[in-house]
Amino acid sequence: MKLPKYDINKYDPKRMMAIPAVLFGIALVIVGITFALTGMPVTPGIDFAGGTAVTIHTDDTKEEIVSFYNGYDLKSVDEGIGSGGYYLKFGPMSNDDMMTFNEYTLSQYPEASIDQIGANFGATLQSQAMWAILFAFIGMAVVVFIAFRKIVPALTVVSAGVADITITAAVMNILGIELSLATTAALLMLIGYSVDSNILLTTKVLKRQGKLEEKMAGAFRTGIIMTTTTLAAIIAMFLVAFIGQVPTLYSIAGVLIIGLICDIIFTWGFNAGVLRMYLSGSEKSQSIPKQPKKDSRGAKQ
Amino acid sequence: MSSKKGSSPKKAKKEYSGWSAVIRDPRVILVLVLVALSLAAIFIPFGDREGFTNLQFGLDLDGGSWIQLEFDSEVVTIGEGADVTSVAESVAKTLDCTVVPISLTKIEVQKSATVDELRAAVEAAGATYVGSESGVGTDTADTIKLILESKLNSLGTSDVKVNTLTNMDGVSQYVRIEMAGVDLQTAQELVGTQGLFELRIVTTGNETAHVLYGDSVVSVQTPTQNPAGSDIWGVGFSIDNAGAEALQQACIYYGATTNPADHELVMYLDGNLVYSAPLSSDLAASIAKNPVNSLYAGTGSGDEGKEKAQELEIHLRAGALPVQVQIAGSGSTSAVLGDYFKVVCLIAAIAALAAVALMVYLRYRTPEIVLPMIATNVSEIIILLGIAVFIQQLDIAAIAALIAVLGTGIDQLVIITDEVMHEGRVPSQALYLKRLKRALVIIMTSAATVIIAMFPLIIMDLSTLKGFAIISILGILIGVLLTRPAYGKVVMEIMSK
Repeated sequence: MKLPKYDINKYDPKRMMAIPAVLFGIALVIVGITFALTGMPVTPGIDFAGGTAVTIHTDDTKEEIVSFYNGYDLKSVDEGIGSGGYYLKFGPMSNDDMMTFNEYTLSQYPEASIDQIGANFGATLQSQAMWAILFAFIGMAVVVFIAFRKIVPALTVVSAGVADITITAAVMNILGIELSLATTAALLMLIGYSVDSNILLTTKVLKRQGKLEEKMAGAFRTGIIMTTTTLAAIIAMFLVAFIGQVPTLYSIAGVLIIGLICDIIFTWGFNAGVLRMYLSGSEKSQSIPKQPKKDSRGAKQ
Repeated sequence: MSSKKGSSPKKAKKEYSGWSAVIRDPRVILVLVLVALSLAAIFIPFGDREGFTNLQFGLDLDGGSWIQLEFDSEVVTIGEGADVTSVAESVAKTLDCTVVPISLTKIEVQKSATVDELRAAVEAAGATYVGSESGVGTDTADTIKLILESKLNSLGTSDVKVNTLTNMDGVSQYVRIEMAGVDLQTAQELVGTQGLFELRIVTTGNETAHVLYGDSVVSVQTPTQNPAGSDIWGVGFSIDNAGAEALQQACIYYGATTNPADHELVMYLDGNLVYSAPLSSDLAASIAKNPVNSLYAGTGSGDEGKEKAQELEIHLRAGALPVQVQIAGSGSTSAVLGDYFKVVCLIAAIAALAAVALMVYLRYRTPEIVLPMIATNVSEIIILLGIAVFIQQLDIAAIAALIAVLGTGIDQLVIITDEVMHEGRVPSQALYLKRLKRALVIIMTSAATVIIAMFPLIIMDLSTLKGFAIISILGILIGVLLTRPAYGKVVMEIMSK
């Protein structure tokens, strides 16, 4: 397979690091603003904010559905391509309203799938999800530090993971993908996988004999195949699920796709840049840099 | 799912020389045996199964409803040093509800109350208020689970799962009920409106007075014949000491001990009369002297008596939850939509596999490498599904995890292949093993990060995400421990050719 025209050894390491760093900065601002507005890094969907979601498959047009729900707090309608599948979201309702809503919906669409989350329950899920994400980050960092036992490489891998998730969250906000239980699961999976190709790169470059350029190029060749292969599987899943309107499946796939693309940028831009600077001057001897140098680099992260 | 794809590359393998060595390798044998066992587990009929596999599907794929209930109850933490039992009694009087001590510093207030009310009540009892959260203690949660299970199962709903969700402080805030093949309205009727059981006593004429609620009923027996073999049926049940005392006082006060016929005991469920009978002369005599904990309600003879006894048992068991509940969330998928989702999930999985196969083919272009890679990947999925038959039902999120495992599993095969093929063909087995070991170190590290990252989801029990996490972790473990070492062996054979 033809590789993308990107010579990992050609560019100035500082410039390689700059672009991802700027992206990370922008993403932080977007996520920060969303957090200030909603209390979560990504706009919460009904799983966390409370509300009702209805999945139906029907020959009715979108207009007919909208007019059928006239009087209800209909927030959005997602439509599949040619499958007659619709995914509707409503604002929170009381228990009694919910009962009449269910009856009303099932009278017209007996095969509808209805999900309802109360505001309290949503708040509980929200705090649990935040804890899960925090624990996942801490756990990932611990494993990475144990695996490398060197400050700069480990810190780079961990910060690439953090940046990856942050940018993914920012892109979700821009594209209007809400944070649901499903997309939280996808983010947690990304916390694990975002360090995948970083570990490959760092291990190959730090623990192998040979010239830095060759090791970099070798790691890049393997890494890009890995990520693109995974991407191919996930994109296939996304397309099928989106056309068929299976919301859980396509929202997980969508987040994974964004995350994997971020992963490519961060591993082969930022992490590769840091490693080249970290190892420059000692590329043939493979000696470990002196302690003060490590600390100063570590502080820059 | 992909058994055909799994077997064809293996047939092809036999055409190459040296394959008998590969087949005899313990790691390869282990994988082949596990694939065979998994296929058997998936396809050979056993137990009660639906469809043509033994896979268990979640509600969103099989059709059914879930309802999550929250409790009108608060768990209050009080300062250390106070006598928790007397504090509970005092708070119970102040707030006019049942209060149960659940640990040295925690009391369970069985009704909804604001923080200010709780603080005032606790301070009036002479203790310090530390904090409170809605929910019930684990004992009450277990009781609620048992009551719901017995009620729903006895009403003939086929496949019911009841789980209480407990947070890290040991406070249960929710109970989640899943009912396969039941629509949401029926489910809500079954669960949402919980019955309140009450035992009352006739005072004069049609007037009755309260004796005890269902929370005093501590155990209920299955219908029995009394005397044995007589075909005269009834249900034995026991009540707690407080209930026994309340019953004794009521019977003496209203005169049931001296004139049982005019002062029958009456049982209500949600205000509907479900049973009434006078005290037997034996019971009237003994209750006049001491509180009685064990009671027996006779329901008559023959089939009718037996049926009535069975109904009464349900009423006694499931009559009342100790606390009121609200619906926190609910959802349903119709069987038709579930079947449709299954088809889409299957197509998505096949499409993902095809995409992966295409990508590795474009990269390596040699069938000797591509076919074992795909075969390894498919084996991984088959073993994963085989294990899932026994431990995890598949919902849509779990299917997403399965497809992600398919995509990332191939990553690691790429790492092994590239590491081993580094600088062309391998000169010696020692060098090969060294390279394979290095590749496995990379794989282990990244597998460990994913497992750690997904782990919180298993403990936290965030509804559907548990399946996602279990399938992800299981998939990674199968890959790292079983199929990838076997693939390494296969690649070695290819390389040394």
